[in-house]
Amino acid sequence: MAGTVIGEGLTIEGDITGDEEIVIHGKLRGRLTTTDAVTVGSGAIVGADITGTSLSVAGQVTGDVTASERVDIQAGGKLVGDIKAARFTIADGASFKGNVDMEI
Amino acid sequence: MGESSVIGASTVVSGHVRGEGSLEILGRIEGDVTVTGEVVVGASGRVRGTVSGTQLTISGQVQGDLRGSEVVLIERGGRVAGDIASPRIGIAPGAFVRGHVQTDGEAALPAASASATNAQRRPTIARVAPAPLPASLLKAPHKAEPRKLEPMRAANPAPAEAEAPRAAKPEPRRPPPPVIPVLGKGIKAKKKKGRE
Amino acid sequence: MNRSQHELSVLGPATRVTGRINGAGALRVEGSVKGDVSVHGETEIADGGSVEGNLHGDTIEISGKLLGDAEAEGAIAVRSSAHVRGQLRGAEVSIEPGARVSVRLETEFELDFGAQRRAVR
Repeated sequence: MAGTVIGEGLTIEGDITGDEEIVIHGKLRGRLTTTDAVTVGSGAIVGADITGTSLSVAGQVTGDVTASERVDIQAGGKLVGDIKAARFTIADGASFKGNVDMEI
Repeated sequence: MGESSVIGASTVVSGHVRGEGSLEILGRIEGDVTVTGEVVVGASGRVRGTVSGTQLTISGQVQGDLRGSEVVLIERGGRVAGDIASPRIGIAPGAFVRGHVQTDGEAALPAASASATNAQRRPTIARVAPAPLPASLLKAPHKAEPRKLEPMRAANPAPAEAEAPRAAKPEPRRPPPPVIPVLGKGIKAKKKKGRE
Repeated sequence: MNRSQHELSVLGPATRVTGRINGAGALRVEGSVKGDVSVHGETEIADGGSVEGNLHGDTIEISGKLLGDAEAEGAIAVRSSAHVRGQLRGAEVSIEPGARVSVRLETEFELDFGAQRRAVR
């Protein structure tokens, strides 16, 4: 159960901060910071730096990503930005453009 | 359903939230909320900004105006410092509202208090209205416009406001018309004549 | 209604009053009043009744029409059939959906936006 869900019709222009899981199906432009997992759904469009424990991207993300555990870019997902995470996967059919720093 | 959104209890949003669908707010939003569906502000929810939707149900706290295209309900425990406008408005016993409450089709009250005698008894409003700008908003590069943090219209009219062009708003300081004495005499006289 | 008959005043539907009304005991307005009403007791504007003036009572219940300010030591209840225009000030003010209102509420309370505001860095 995600604590925060941004539905597909919703747009947030600004910062999101939390101590709980955050799922985005809609649009976000700003920054996203949580102490829990972040999921970017397949229809989501995110233009934001993201900080969390783990990040799963099935939609589009433009921004730098910092995850204390891992980053997974799913098939169909797109990430443009730098990744800072201990582990990461880029699925077949995913796209990624940026640098990866695994020393966290 | 992807249409329904939740701002969780520990989540803080600094910025505007808008779009389609419904929204449940259990955390905090420092910014305006505009959606095409329902908005529920749960008991733990806090919004500093204007909230617009079809049906608004407030059990938490809002500092800002509420506009519901269908209905606005302030539940027990809910607190609203701001103006409320909607075709239907409900304020439950145990809810607190400070501001102008207006159902559609009703004329607005004059900007200043209807009764000048009550003017002195409203100093407490100033405590809440000019709230300091949250640090988060100041730092954010794409911060929301400060306009939503203006003092409410219900608050003490600032000196600057008094100097504003008169034409811009209905005259705020006109005393209520002296209906009672004038009308009273007239009506009495008529009635007596009628009886004789 | 279990108040004694002597304590309850009723202005019937065919009654019109022009002038002030003061006193103790409960009052129900079913007719119309043009003037200020101030009672120590429960005050009610029944559906169909109207007051054009300021209203003061221990508690106030409005099902009819009030054009003026209402002030109560206790609760003010605006029922769904009411039509109210003015300022309302009471220990507790409630409004039922369906009421036609243009009112200013001056309730005193604090908002609790707390320390979390600094959480965003």
